Amino acid sequence: MIHTETKADYSTNTNKMSVITPEIQSLIDPVVSGLKRHQIVGDKVIALAICHLLMKVISAARWTNPYDLINIIRKVGTILNTGYPKKIISGNIVRRVLALIRDEIETENNDNTPMMSSMFSLLSTNSTGNQKVQYNQSKKQSSDFRSIIIQGIRDLEDEIANVNEGIETMSVDLIHDNEILLTPTPTSETVLQFLIKARAKRKFTVLVTESFPNDINTSHKFVKKLAENKIETILIPDSTVYAVMSRVGKVIIGSSAVFANGGCLSNSGVTHVVECAKEHRTPVFALAGLYKLSPLYPFNGDDLIEVGNSGKVLNYDDFKLIENVEIVTNPLDDYISPEHIDIYITNVGGFAPSFIYRIVLDNYKTEDNNLE
Amino acid sequence: MPPKNKKQKDDVQDERFQAIVLTDSFQTRFMPLTSVKPRCLLPLANVPLIEYTLEFLAKAGVNEVHLMCSSHAEQIQQYIEKSKWSSHNSPFTVYTIMSLESRSVGDAMRDLDNRGLITGDFLLVSGDVVTNIDFSKVMNFHKYKKQQDKDHIITMVLTPASPLHRTRSHVDPATFILDKKTNRCLFYQGIPPVDGKKASINVDPELFEDVEDEISIRNDLIDCHVDICTPHVPQIFQENFDYQYLRNDFVKGVVTTDLVKKTIYAYISENSSEYAARVESWATYDAISQDILARWCYPLGPDSNFVNSTSYRYEAKHIYKEEKVVLAQSCKIGTCTSIGANTTVGERTTIKKSVIGRNCKIGNNVVISNSYIWDGAIIEDNTSVNHTIVASNAHIGSNVVLSPGVVIGFNVKIGNNKRIAHNARVSELPIVSNEDLFDDSFESDSENSENDEPSTPSIPHIDINVQDIDLVGEDGVGFLYVSDKDFDEESESEAGDQYSGIIYQMKSLNVSDDSIASVSNRNKTRKHSRKHSRSRRLSTTSVVSTDFDGEIYSEEEEDFIQEAVATVDRSLNNNHDLDTAVLELNTLKMSMNASYHDVRNATSEALVKQVLKFIKTQTLDPKSAAKKVFERWGPMYKRQIFEFEDGIDLLNILQEKIAQSDKAYNQIILFVAVQTLYDEVLSEEAILAWWNSSKNIEDENIKYVRGLTEQFIKWLETAEEESEEEESD
Repeated sequence: MIHTETKADYSTNTNKMSVITPEIQSLIDPVVSGLKRHQIVGDKVIALAICHLLMKVISAARWTNPYDLINIIRKVGTILNTGYPKKIISGNIVRRVLALIRDEIETENNDNTPMMSSMFSLLSTNSTGNQKVQYNQSKKQSSDFRSIIIQGIRDLEDEIANVNEGIETMSVDLIHDNEILLTPTPTSETVLQFLIKARAKRKFTVLVTESFPNDINTSHKFVKKLAENKIETILIPDSTVYAVMSRVGKVIIGSSAVFANGGCLSNSGVTHVVECAKEHRTPVFALAGLYKLSPLYPFNGDDLIEVGNSGKVLNYDDFKLIENVEIVTNPLDDYISPEHIDIYITNVGGFAPSFIYRIVLDNYKTEDNNLE
Repeated sequence: MPPKNKKQKDDVQDERFQAIVLTDSFQTRFMPLTSVKPRCLLPLANVPLIEYTLEFLAKAGVNEVHLMCSSHAEQIQQYIEKSKWSSHNSPFTVYTIMSLESRSVGDAMRDLDNRGLITGDFLLVSGDVVTNIDFSKVMNFHKYKKQQDKDHIITMVLTPASPLHRTRSHVDPATFILDKKTNRCLFYQGIPPVDGKKASINVDPELFEDVEDEISIRNDLIDCHVDICTPHVPQIFQENFDYQYLRNDFVKGVVTTDLVKKTIYAYISENSSEYAARVESWATYDAISQDILARWCYPLGPDSNFVNSTSYRYEAKHIYKEEKVVLAQSCKIGTCTSIGANTTVGERTTIKKSVIGRNCKIGNNVVISNSYIWDGAIIEDNTSVNHTIVASNAHIGSNVVLSPGVVIGFNVKIGNNKRIAHNARVSELPIVSNEDLFDDSFESDSENSENDEPSTPSIPHIDINVQDIDLVGEDGVGFLYVSDKDFDEESESEAGDQYSGIIYQMKSLNVSDDSIASVSNRNKTRKHSRKHSRSRRLSTTSVVSTDFDGEIYSEEEEDFIQEAVATVDRSLNNNHDLDTAVLELNTLKMSMNASYHDVRNATSEALVKQVLKFIKTQTLDPKSAAKKVFERWGPMYKRQIFEFEDGIDLLNILQEKIAQSDKAYNQIILFVAVQTLYDEVLSEEAILAWWNSSKNIEDENIKYVRGLTEQFIKWLETAEEESEEEESD
């Protein structure tokens, strides 16, 4: 038996990015491969995993200057993005943490040297040198800084973990008695909690689309859970959405990412539902935790929409058909344009799609929009 | 990171979950390309095949991977050392095991057993598996079955398809007979290639005796050779040293003989999005490539970039492109196409359902469909490439037509205006058959293994192969590869042609395979003939009967007795363990397809010979010699006697054998033999029945030999009467 002892540096990333030490790389790799292998699934799980990763990176990384730290975090963001570009949430979390660090630098700078603004320091390369001098002065300060940032990430984790609570509180105001609601996103835990919470004070009916082919099992479970909570629930085929729309009072959708333009990503098939809703002038509510808001703009649909397993659409056994059909495709997401959404309900309040860019500006720094 | 709940379970049972990857296919199907590179490093959708397997293992939560390498072992080792799998972040530790002498799966398994690496249940996969199955389900199935059935040794992973599915192996398709309720595999039969005659399988009805409910006979399963095995599996291979193939020998052997008393279960994936297949021939290479591009095995696909070095992006209609692909404005990229980095495509070129590697140069007006162009290949203007494989760094001139089924080897250069005929395989260097590294015939000279320098291509024998100018053009480089078997077995390849004709309008690429397929089956003929003779023997009891030559059978019977006597002799002289002796004998019986009568015959002959030897050399007197031999070795009969008649048969044999010896002491020997065997091996009733049945034999010798034994019989009879009296009291 021959042991392969030479540990070659395999990753092209490591060569490119000198700031990423092997130590940090070994923290990132399991997360990236977990994402690629679909072992870390679910928006919230991913968000928390990234938070956790960044916390570990910040504690493990050696840095004397907060700007070094920013560089490291940006590289981590780039690696995550190249590893699994379709998950926008990982980028969101990285940017949130970056904003956190920049805010912290700003407040410290305001204390020490009020004239130095964070914007200025980013645009001029020389300024980082000045910063270095400044920060080398006290080690205590940097360790304080580290713990402040980690505390900030902890708060972010709390926010993500409890995102539904903030959204739920609005449900009673939005849902009326004896209203008929329709939801085409049975995968969304937020929508489920939203409806259950509303049931405490209101009595209403929910129509749930079957969401063939990818989420058909989830939708059945979703219906069951609603029924267990004494909500009158009707499971409808995807094709009948237009027919029932005239009776529907509100369409409630979950979203997996919200873009700065007010559009969002949701389950495949939702575009068709909101299109029907528009035809009937039915209001569409999109539920989204703050962490799903992204400072990006949806320029290229191909980069956003993940295409899933063709076997869900056409049975692989059916060889004769497979052989003769040109293409079988199973997109997992739909992009919903802002015109189709009336209101976003987030854990910090309800906003019109046109206002999303403001919320984005509050939570992210524009200099981090492009991580590379 | 594997799902947590699964990992915990593993920890409880065994801390390490091992996987054995058989990197070698032990076949010649991918010649001539495999003369330069091992099959598992050939690119499938621009990613080396082994990566798919390793990715699956990583996802399955394996902790330790052992790669069994034989041909081109050094290349594989180098590759693994450089890959991410040997870095400290790797989800498992990889060990490459040089098993250079292995010539079959059986050899590899025996080697594995000798090395004693296996600590618990392990995953056995070949290095060419492409799958996205949820392994935790398979593992749970395996554990559940293991709890229920202590004899459970293998869980096979099978996925449903249809009999003629493109991804299903046309080379060795197989029928499984399963217990419908428990999914226990009752029978396995590789289907003989469809050669125009009726393909049938013979099943022994006894196999279904303990089936409670219904059985299902399935000829629609894709067998991807992913098995969870218990440590018994290598042992069984060790014990049955004639087993070569995992399925045709091992699975078939285990399920059809009652010798091993082990069971095999099949896990059949029910989920429509689960995919599992094996790249075992050009046909499946083609099919699996298309499946990957068409996202049947999502999340495994080019755009998942599971190999860190790739950077594929998905575009609508299943087009995958890496960075820095240069496409001319007027070129057309059709559906299901993947293009690697730094490749340029010229004006008015159309590409569809193809995979183009990195750094390729495709000229103007080229038509490429259903083809696989590997890294660094150059295709000049106005060439047409259809259902073809162009290996790395090959150079195809302008106005060339590559017909379906063509395989262009590494670094081959095809001149302008050439037309390569169907199914031609061109290699850079001529490949001489007797240096064939991938020769799967196990009779091949063992000398070769010493000379084999796996990483270097075969040494050209120019005198046989003259540079084929007609084929590749004046400025070309390349030789036509002809499998030596093609020459030998014209009748076989005819059968192969017919076979391919029957398999609907299958892509012509398959034709070349099928002929190989029939050839590779030829290698098994020697073994098959044995099996056939066995099936003949069964024909008295089985519903389906076939007629095969009886001659082989009778010849083999004689062979068997000689061999068996020699085997027992060996055991006696070397004073083997009793179990070993029985095992050896049984193995011989299985391989020669003998009956237990023959075994008893041989054993008796050997034992009597031994007694006589003692007497003649005067080491012992007749009585103690017989006593010694029969006391020590008599229990061997225990595993040769199953029914009442068997006992009588044994005594008759002994009587006959002993009667032939010297009259001075043969009475004593028989007496001692019967006395010693009484009770432990033979029942009283059997002895009495034998005595009475052969009372009236007229042969003088036999009458004489029975002289002394009569006393014993009388004693037996009285003892019986006494015991009866006692009972009546």
